[in-house]
Amino acid sequence: MNTSSLSIALVSLFAALIAVFGLIPKIDLPLGVPITLQTLGVMLAGCMLGPKRALQALLLFLAAVAIGLPLLSGGRGGIGVFFAPASGYLMGWPVGAFVAGWVMHMLPRATPRSAAISAFVASTLGGLLVVHMFGVIGLVNIANLTWEQAIMGTLVFVPGDLIKCALCATVVHTVARGLPDWRFGG
Amino acid sequence: MGSLYSDDPTWLHAVPAGFKLAFLALLGTGVFLTSGLIALSASAAFCLLAFLSLGRAVTRAKPLLTGLVFASGLIGLFHIYMQQPVVGAISVLRLLSTTLMGIALTLTTRHTDLLNVFEWLLAPLRLVGVHPERLSLQVALMLRFTEHFFVLWRRLDDAHRLRTGKAGGFKILAPLTIQMLVAARRVADTLHVRFRR
Repeated sequence: MNTSSLSIALVSLFAALIAVFGLIPKIDLPLGVPITLQTLGVMLAGCMLGPKRALQALLLFLAAVAIGLPLLSGGRGGIGVFFAPASGYLMGWPVGAFVAGWVMHMLPRATPRSAAISAFVASTLGGLLVVHMFGVIGLVNIANLTWEQAIMGTLVFVPGDLIKCALCATVVHTVARGLPDWRFGG
Repeated sequence: MGSLYSDDPTWLHAVPAGFKLAFLALLGTGVFLTSGLIALSASAAFCLLAFLSLGRAVTRAKPLLTGLVFASGLIGLFHIYMQQPVVGAISVLRLLSTTLMGIALTLTTRHTDLLNVFEWLLAPLRLVGVHPERLSLQVALMLRFTEHFFVLWRRLDDAHRLRTGKAGGFKILAPLTIQMLVAARRVADTLHVRFRR
């Protein structure tokens, strides 16, 4: 199969998957913290596609948001969302997907079990740590919070994101069994 | 999939997309370089007046405006609680200026026009092997597949509901992903046949 065509298809399809995750209603944790599935899309893109294609998928998704398509959860879109206090998280998505893909590429993934463990580590580092790091930087710069306040604010979302890391690992495990020839991490 | 673009004609529709983007970039940089309350208030007032001058078109942005009011209120209240009202005012004024102009741009610019500007901006990347002209194709493919996979998600959810009496939730994520990856391979084959690359 031609790599260039496969790249175009995979990049578009994962950008679409992240958009679909935005259409699915959010799930509220008992503490009232909402879980939207779009960061799970970031983790999955990294683990499934590898660093380069995952980065492209997220950039494509954000470009589509920037041109005014209401693809973020809650039907949000347009350039304005990139100036909002939470825009740091959005900026962190491509980098987070890239890091998740790179970590996945570096870790063992020969068996479904090892792929799932690697996916958990990769999504925790890329989809959780990196994305929250960018989110905190955004909160400090746009909402003028102190570093401590921003870190405390972002910690509320960590339990939900850890659930997503586990979900990502579960999906990778199932895909590794269903599509044994799939090359995780690119 | 619908866009946030408004068909109600306004004066801003006539302004070229590239000019609007350049103005937004300058405004965004400007409001983050200054901390003067007078300058920021003037900027926010100008942006608010410009936004309101769009008339009926602004009604389409109701959900975005609700989010903006909510975020501004939260930031303002938080800083008042922390006894830093000036810092709160600076943050809210910056947020109002940039977000209102961002929404105005979105409401009055067709996404194809913005895509053309992005492709033009990305054109120098051809030197390093990036193909900006693929952006339109990829956005089109993405939109087509967003609808397709949303239908697929609902179909899987219905099937799960029929079998178990409960909503599929996270359990249908894996089958959805597998079907998607298989579809990606089929689409890649089709693209290869169509474009020979």
